[in-house]
Amino acid sequence: MRRERFGRLQDQLAAHGIDGLVLLGSSSAAYATGAAVPGQDGDLAALFRPVAVVAKGDSAPHLYTLYGDGVPGEVPEDHLHGPLFPDLDDGMELFAKALANHFGAGATIGIDDQTHAMLRGLHGFDWVDASEVMGSAKITKTPDEVACIRNAQLLNELAMADALSMLRPGVRQIDLSATFLRRVFELGASANGIDPIWQVMAPTRERGPWTLHGDIAYPTVTTDRFLREGDVIWVDAGILWEGYASDFGRTWITSVDPVPNNRQLGQFRRWRAVVDAALGRLKPGVSALELGRAAIEANDGVRPWIEHFYLAHGVGTDSAEMPLIGTDFGEQFDEQLILEPGMVVVFEPVIWDDGAAGYRSEDIVAVTDSGWVKLSGSTYDPFRLST
Amino acid sequence: MSPAPRDRGVLVGVVGLEDDARVDFARLRGQRRAKVLSGMETHSFDALMLGGVGDVHYVSGARQLARAGVLPFAPVAVVVRETGRVHLLSTWDEGVPPEIGHDDLYGLCWNPANLVAALATIPGLRESRRVGTDGLTPMFAALLAPILGSAELVDAAPVIATARRIKTADEITCLQVASAIAEAALSAMEDALAPGITERELLGVYYERVAGLSTPIAPSESVCFATPARGPVRFRHLASDRRVGDGELVVLAPGALYAGYEAGLARTRVAGGGGPPGTADLAARCTRSMDALLAACRPGNTGADLYGAWEDGGNRESAVPLAHGLGLGAEPPVIGLGRGGDATLEDGMVMSVQSWVAEEGVGGCLERATLLIEGGKCSTLTRYGRL
Repeated sequence: MRRERFGRLQDQLAAHGIDGLVLLGSSSAAYATGAAVPGQDGDLAALFRPVAVVAKGDSAPHLYTLYGDGVPGEVPEDHLHGPLFPDLDDGMELFAKALANHFGAGATIGIDDQTHAMLRGLHGFDWVDASEVMGSAKITKTPDEVACIRNAQLLNELAMADALSMLRPGVRQIDLSATFLRRVFELGASANGIDPIWQVMAPTRERGPWTLHGDIAYPTVTTDRFLREGDVIWVDAGILWEGYASDFGRTWITSVDPVPNNRQLGQFRRWRAVVDAALGRLKPGVSALELGRAAIEANDGVRPWIEHFYLAHGVGTDSAEMPLIGTDFGEQFDEQLILEPGMVVVFEPVIWDDGAAGYRSEDIVAVTDSGWVKLSGSTYDPFRLST
Repeated sequence: MSPAPRDRGVLVGVVGLEDDARVDFARLRGQRRAKVLSGMETHSFDALMLGGVGDVHYVSGARQLARAGVLPFAPVAVVVRETGRVHLLSTWDEGVPPEIGHDDLYGLCWNPANLVAALATIPGLRESRRVGTDGLTPMFAALLAPILGSAELVDAAPVIATARRIKTADEITCLQVASAIAEAALSAMEDALAPGITERELLGVYYERVAGLSTPIAPSESVCFATPARGPVRFRHLASDRRVGDGELVVLAPGALYAGYEAGLARTRVAGGGGPPGTADLAARCTRSMDALLAACRPGNTGADLYGAWEDGGNRESAVPLAHGLGLGAEPPVIGLGRGGDATLEDGMVMSVQSWVAEEGVGGCLERATLLIEGGKCSTLTRYGRL
């Protein structure tokens, strides 16, 4: 898998006429090298971040890391180096020296993030944004990558079974986080990706948090809020396994005996119909716009997703990456975005039913040569319907 | 911390510990903002555009969704000196302090061009001559150029890093609370430590404890590792399926975040019966070296004094940093791994300091503390029985 990913980066470097990559963001560095790092909060992660350097024509990436136990076994000894600390001026000459070993003066190098210490201390190169190279390499997945996403998702779902089983009135949002996080690490997660979300949905837009666009607010941060009988909760969580993100989304009902009422069942069925309408069209060659239109049509002409989100997004070493379907990139973008085998798509439409909250879940599929295969599980408790 | 909510009472989660009874958060935010605006005045900055998690939290005080890892630079918060206003990327007001009004928010976009268009409407930004950022990407440099005209994009660190380095009394209180939470996690891990438990299970115990205390975000998931009594001993960062052996030395190193402020500590414990021969000597060397480092943490001393204290104890160069700054996450300076020799310690700085020693045939021993430099010496904010 790592060899294939590196090959894709090399192909993209050639296609874009770029001499190499210097990668500082977690998902890009992980993609290029397979290097594991402990899950860390923003500034700690940044200060001690690994750096990946990919030189065109090289046989392996160079990895500069503090985390020796996260280095894949195949990284050649002469490609493994100590950390570079891109955020510090102190030692920037070592970074410059390292780059001089990999690139000639005037080289065009793709980069995903620049610190001011780098802007001050690294000269003589033509820096371009790495996003096109990374995006082109990442947008379709190899079978091994798909397997990693599927396993990340499985671990996530198994741990969620424990969280759901403890949900009842009086449990707090953070109690669900505690149960989920403990279990998911016991099961084998490599890292947690995001603070797990258990948002209680107000029955109407009006009673939910104020928003800029007037649509619903989601996702809001977990607190010690008590969950009470009848609270409708939109759950969202993501973990990493071998560098790949899961994405778990479900709607739960807080109760000693959670049985959805008819209105809620109707929301769920409509959600299912929307996803099924999109899946019915999903195969290589279809455009993102067609999928979006199918979803809107299945929801009687109403856009079934939140204004600031999408019908669907990709997942990989980033929790939300291309293909993005139905975003503010606009219709023309969606029309030109053609689905291909190997793309992984997370459908997360929202059925909002003002007065009775709504239903939201996430279905993950991988596009195959002729259609798609589902990667996420097919139980939607407590709606007690399997699909 | 929370804005005036639409809901009241039990419908509101406050992240229970983030309570004005401990810290006057309005005062804390006001003092931070005053430091930033005064720094902008001193350094003639008209605006700041910030993307780092700690920087955004410092200027806004907003409780935003936590994600693990390093994200490339994006303008998440904007400070304009002329108006004294802080603008924040948030589609809703939940988790946003009341002094940041609805007019000061700009929404989540997937298309960076739309994000930049939203920034262009921020009063005073387009007129700025000098704009400080905490990072850049070639893409944002190109997108921002038209709205910023001939404005200079410079390093925000002289303002923001300087403001963050010296802590206010309220910030120190937050760090003390974070210390107490980390100590609670250490107690839970110590209780769970027994031969046969895996590192992952200990990580699970850690997460369950900190999440249950309303702080489900880990500063780092590198919180424990067992060290072998035979063969080479390395500092490891990633929790594995490895079972802890009877008599092994196990590093327990939890951290915690409180209102964004990070503290942590580490102790090394023997699992089960007595450790291998040499354990007492190794522990004594660890403690002695830690004491030497702590003694060197005095205002006016430099990183070189910490290197000196470490080497005087007969230690070889440490495989991990000897110290780094703490506040809203990790901060410069980093002292160790060849960096930070010239960094000067000042009154009001908070540091993570650690002593890691290892010996083949015995194992490894880590002690870590969060300390405050104050009144000519340092005091440890974390308190826990030593080995």
